[in-house]
Amino acid sequence: MDWAYLFEISLTGIASGGLYALAALAFVMVYKATRVVNIAIGEMLMAGGYLFFTFAAMWALPLWLAIPAAVLACGLLGAVIERTMIRPLLGEPPISVFMVTVGLSSVLIGLVEMVWTADQRRLPEFMPSDPIMVGDAFLAPKVFWGAVVAAVFIAAVLLVFRYWRGGVALRATASDQAAAYSVGINVPRVFSLAWVASAMLAAISGIIVGSIGGISSSMGVFGLSVLVVVIVGGLDSVLGALVGGILIGLVEALAGAYLGGEYKLLATFVVLVVILMARPYGLFGTHEIERL
Amino acid sequence: MAQHRISTKRRSLMLGAAAAALVQPLSVLAQGAEEIVIGGSIPMTGVFAFAGVGINAGIQDYVKIVNDAGGIKGRKVRYVPEDTGYKVDVSVAAFKKITSQNKVNVYYGDSTGFAKTINPELERNGNILMAGASFASELNDPKKYPHQFLVGPDYTEMFGILLKHIAKEKPGAKVAFVYSDSEFGRDPIEKSEAAAKALGLSVPVKIMTPAGSVDVSTEVIKLRRAAPDYTIFHGYILAPIPEFITQGKQQGMKSKWMGTFWTMDSSTVMKMGEAGDGFMGVMPYRYYYDTEKAPMLEKIRALRPEYQSTAYMQGFLAAMLFLESAKRCLDGNKPLTGANLKAALNSLKDFDTGGLIGVPITISGNSIPVGRVYRADMKAQKMVAASDWIKL
Amino acid sequence: MRIGTLKESYVADAALFDSRTQHAWLAIAATLLLLFPFVASDYWLYMACLVAINVASATGLNILTGYTGLVSLGQAAFMGLGAYTVAILQTRYGTPFLLNLLAGGVVAMLGGIVVGIPSLRVKGLYLAIATIAASFIAHFLFANFQITGGTAGLSLPPARLLGMDLDTSFRLYWLIVPVAVLMLLGAANLFRTRIGRAFIAIRDRDISAEVLGIPLLRYKLLSFGLSSFYAGLAGGLWAYFFRVVTPESFPLSMSIFFLAAIIVGGMGSILGGILGAVFMTMVPELLKLVVDLLPGGAALAVFLSPVRLVVFGALIIGFLVFEPLGLAEIWRRVRRFFHLWPFRN
Repeated sequence: MDWAYLFEISLTGIASGGLYALAALAFVMVYKATRVVNIAIGEMLMAGGYLFFTFAAMWALPLWLAIPAAVLACGLLGAVIERTMIRPLLGEPPISVFMVTVGLSSVLIGLVEMVWTADQRRLPEFMPSDPIMVGDAFLAPKVFWGAVVAAVFIAAVLLVFRYWRGGVALRATASDQAAAYSVGINVPRVFSLAWVASAMLAAISGIIVGSIGGISSSMGVFGLSVLVVVIVGGLDSVLGALVGGILIGLVEALAGAYLGGEYKLLATFVVLVVILMARPYGLFGTHEIERL
Repeated sequence: MAQHRISTKRRSLMLGAAAAALVQPLSVLAQGAEEIVIGGSIPMTGVFAFAGVGINAGIQDYVKIVNDAGGIKGRKVRYVPEDTGYKVDVSVAAFKKITSQNKVNVYYGDSTGFAKTINPELERNGNILMAGASFASELNDPKKYPHQFLVGPDYTEMFGILLKHIAKEKPGAKVAFVYSDSEFGRDPIEKSEAAAKALGLSVPVKIMTPAGSVDVSTEVIKLRRAAPDYTIFHGYILAPIPEFITQGKQQGMKSKWMGTFWTMDSSTVMKMGEAGDGFMGVMPYRYYYDTEKAPMLEKIRALRPEYQSTAYMQGFLAAMLFLESAKRCLDGNKPLTGANLKAALNSLKDFDTGGLIGVPITISGNSIPVGRVYRADMKAQKMVAASDWIKL
Repeated sequence: MRIGTLKESYVADAALFDSRTQHAWLAIAATLLLLFPFVASDYWLYMACLVAINVASATGLNILTGYTGLVSLGQAAFMGLGAYTVAILQTRYGTPFLLNLLAGGVVAMLGGIVVGIPSLRVKGLYLAIATIAASFIAHFLFANFQITGGTAGLSLPPARLLGMDLDTSFRLYWLIVPVAVLMLLGAANLFRTRIGRAFIAIRDRDISAEVLGIPLLRYKLLSFGLSSFYAGLAGGLWAYFFRVVTPESFPLSMSIFFLAAIIVGGMGSILGGILGAVFMTMVPELLKLVVDLLPGGAALAVFLSPVRLVVFGALIIGFLVFEPLGLAEIWRRVRRFFHLWPFRN
């Protein structure tokens, strides 16, 4: 049993799980506030990556300008999406809104292909490139810093939900819309806020994922793994996003290392099926009570 | 009432569209007097668009050169392309449309999937010689695919060329294969492993990456542990090769990095940045900017002052081989059927491609097993030759 | 215009096509379908076969999602099961094609039942996600086993009928369209029976359905099974039509295509399934036509593929936001207009 190998693989797996956690956080943000399963999260990630590419590479803006610009632009995109596609479907069955996000993912891919063509591109390098060594185990710097960013944001979001008025309002809207209205919370504004925040987080995630694997119009496939992460962690749990992300990252890394590359996705989906059978609401999700 | 007004407008729109659509089958067969028709299912949009646009331009340009010189034995050449977005069912539909509206003699197909699907149709038609963007080893079978050919070496032969070069440079070296989980990626691996062993090389690890994977850190760790002298990537265009190389170098790997045709376009390799310096690979054609004597390249440079991709070269060469086969058929007073065209193609012995391929070529089967190893020079932003022309 | 359609027996009341005008329209439609292959070009025959296959599969999905309310993104995977079964049987054993098609349907049905087992525990969107998982597991199975030809897939010889190879679109038309029509009639009839009504009850409120005495698990599994049988049959027809089956032939995006087709067409009605499948299959061709007709079309052609994607997504969003009941509802409104026209004020 090569412990050093196992340790190295696990370390990498946990760190890349951090990447999943960040994207999962964006997903959970939307689900928590509006109960919408946003399958276009991978495509919003892609939009963030492409916007950063435009600002940093095509317009050659300095980094400290390009990253916030991309994030804000993506937030704007989130607001537009919420206003035009999600708001009109407020009372509809959740499957309708789910299908709208499916349509949205198609539209986003088409728009990206129209403006930037379907070629694969690389993002300008901006992350520190010294390899991280933990003893003898090697950790890729991009993955490490990506995980650090993810952890920082998750901690920030957890604090925001606890202590900031907006965060509390979001949680209130999530648990009972009618009650939130009656205590004076501007529920439509909370919805917009949730989507904007989710889009901004997706943009950050997209920039990190793009700087590792490059950007392309098929980047959105990342969203499927994120879907597994949120199911495992719980659709509306921020902590679940972190734990689920780490868990799935670990499972993928171990499957890839010991079984082979083709088993990575299979292992992920087997975990999904097991969780769906054993704990359908995920590790930390709230149990939904069906009322007649 | 508002309701019925909308429905009437909608109805008339639908009727108009239906009428326009129904006009299609009644269109007369568009055919000039004795033309040679090149049909094409070209991926001008979609994931393969960078190649499709180049292929389209390449075929167009060669057809223009031939027509300007008077055509083939007095017959003009006409090129009828359709965009497919690199989808097999769209390609097949385009084939059916083009062949029902024109008398097609030669056809260019966009993918391995299309080539395999259309093969029975091609047999039935019997009048078309086909080539395409695919270099799949499976198609390199004259018995199963008698009316098709590859415009270069197949993927297994590409590996073979690289392995021959490695065996010469460093006998007994360790060569790792990194490939994508797709038919494209898996195609040459098994046979190439055997070929490597036959050349006295060893393959310490074969790593398959799932399609669309972003993070390859675990694969790089596996690769590092195998400590290969050379690593050949196959089944990718760009990603995740730069990430592999960057992480590999960071981890202290001393391997040399190599790739196959679809990675080796100059613009693609240059996108790799620092990581791509010294990246090698097999390319059956000369690059647009090659300075060695090549009359066809000079013609291309005169026609197109800006850089043309290797996909352009492929389209150009395909058109050249198509029309040369047609010419030989007509020279022998044979009708332009699939079998005759293929026989004419196979009669090409020591054929001079005008310098597109550096040595005269002979097409005895379905492929052209010739190539050269090029290396990326990041400072000059060019691919430079790293070996002689290798024939298998 | 319909007046006085009274019925004097239960049998007459439950009939699918009850009025003389409906019979007349059906006769015209049947004649058109019979005459079509003799006047159409090869290209249009090809499109017709493709549309028929899509209609069959969409109807299957409609049974599951439109009538029983169980959202499934695994339709392509079940089609793949059917297609591979047909391919394996045809290449290895050369059994008659009708047998292969039925076998394909049965194998897909078994697959559907297996995927449906979690449907009691897992509801709504979670079930949809479980079907995505099934889709990937199916892809893995197709790509990694010798019997399915691995990533290269299988190519199969054409079906043989009375010593004749069914290898042109013209000949395949006579196989695919009748089978599709039979499947449509079967589905329409299903919803006249107890089983069909149980499905609808489950969609509307499954807990109440259980209270009414409908055993949920059995009927949900039946729904999955029937819908995947349809998918398997459609997949088998697909295999005979394209003659090459690879793991990439049935991607998740195909499942999304079918779901979009029934949403655009109108969930929960057979006509919706037909309209949606026809519409979604023909829209890319119409787009190509429009681009060809526009001046400067050559330059615009580069945008054809992304525009197709945008139009696809926009159609889904548009129909969901503006006309959630789909094309079938638009059709009904048009019909209602004509029915009430003399009485319009």
